[in-house]
Amino acid sequence: MRRDSSWRDAVGIVVVAVVAAAVSNALAGPERKLHWIGSYSSAVPAAPATVVPTPSPGAAAAAVTPAAGDEAGKAFAPHPNKAWVEISGEDVAALYARGNILFLDARRTSVYRAGHIAGARSISIWEADADDKVKALFSEGRDQSAPIVVYCSGGDCEDSHHLGEKLYFVGFDNVLVYKDGFPDWEKRGLAVKKGDAP
Amino acid sequence: MNSRLTSSWVTARVQFVLAAIFVVAGFGKILDPPGFAHEIYNYKLLPGVAVNALAIVLPWIELVAGFALFVGVARRSAARIFGVLLIVFVIALSVNLVRGRPVDCGCFGGPKVPKTDVQRLGDMKIAIVRDLGMLLLVWQVLAAVRREERDRR
Repeated sequence: MRRDSSWRDAVGIVVVAVVAAAVSNALAGPERKLHWIGSYSSAVPAAPATVVPTPSPGAAAAAVTPAAGDEAGKAFAPHPNKAWVEISGEDVAALYARGNILFLDARRTSVYRAGHIAGARSISIWEADADDKVKALFSEGRDQSAPIVVYCSGGDCEDSHHLGEKLYFVGFDNVLVYKDGFPDWEKRGLAVKKGDAP
Repeated sequence: MNSRLTSSWVTARVQFVLAAIFVVAGFGKILDPPGFAHEIYNYKLLPGVAVNALAIVLPWIELVAGFALFVGVARRSAARIFGVLLIVFVIALSVNLVRGRPVDCGCFGGPKVPKTDVQRLGDMKIAIVRDLGMLLLVWQVLAAVRREERDRR
């Protein structure tokens, strides 16, 4: 009997915790809120995904041609069979120099606020509004084949890869992951901005 | 078991220490559920769909059980919950140590400063030793509760 009572108490503790957690999460602001069901893949593949995306109206657009004077001199063609491809810091710097490339920061909003690539927009994949922000980006009617550079903290950080997958599944087929991320950007002494604004 | 180890003086202090550790740990995670979800994900032990639910609920289980132990309610149940959690933590850290995969423990919320892989691996070993030490505290509470019940009969 005593043992049953002990297990009943344990269940009671868990039930109280679940209710408190649900209330806390419901009342949390966008930076603290989580969807109960995560939308992350269990593991980011070592090589870019090879899933064929749903064809989109902009998918047939021609490969992006580098602007005149582009130091890298590379064309970052759309890759409709891959969710993302990784690119080096040199390539990222060359793309940034073009001035018309969208940069997205996949790190937490608080980290973004402390310093981000000047002009980059924040879409933290760990915060509950990530999917809404991706949908809003899609709704802007951007060219889905134009390069989008996503980054996080470099090293073993996978946030940018996850964001790349989200972008890919709404139809963007030219997501470029900045492999070495923001630490590399800072090391290069390139433009950094603090605060909420891009 | 030595009656000194299960005396009310020792038990009160062990309960206080255990409760304080879990309340602090739970509170640190409650402040930043997305950060804790990130830490859980990095362990690569759960399917992605389960990460958020665990990140939302686990800190509250730590907090509620810690509070119960602190006020002396349902002590055996709270101690058992802590025992289960600590065993799970030790297994999760050990699996990633064996994989050679450095992860931030996430025990008290996210790390305040970025760490190197070597620092992370070192911290994981320390966390395992700490969790095993806390399991001894759990065992003391369970033994003390058992003894109190026996003495009452």
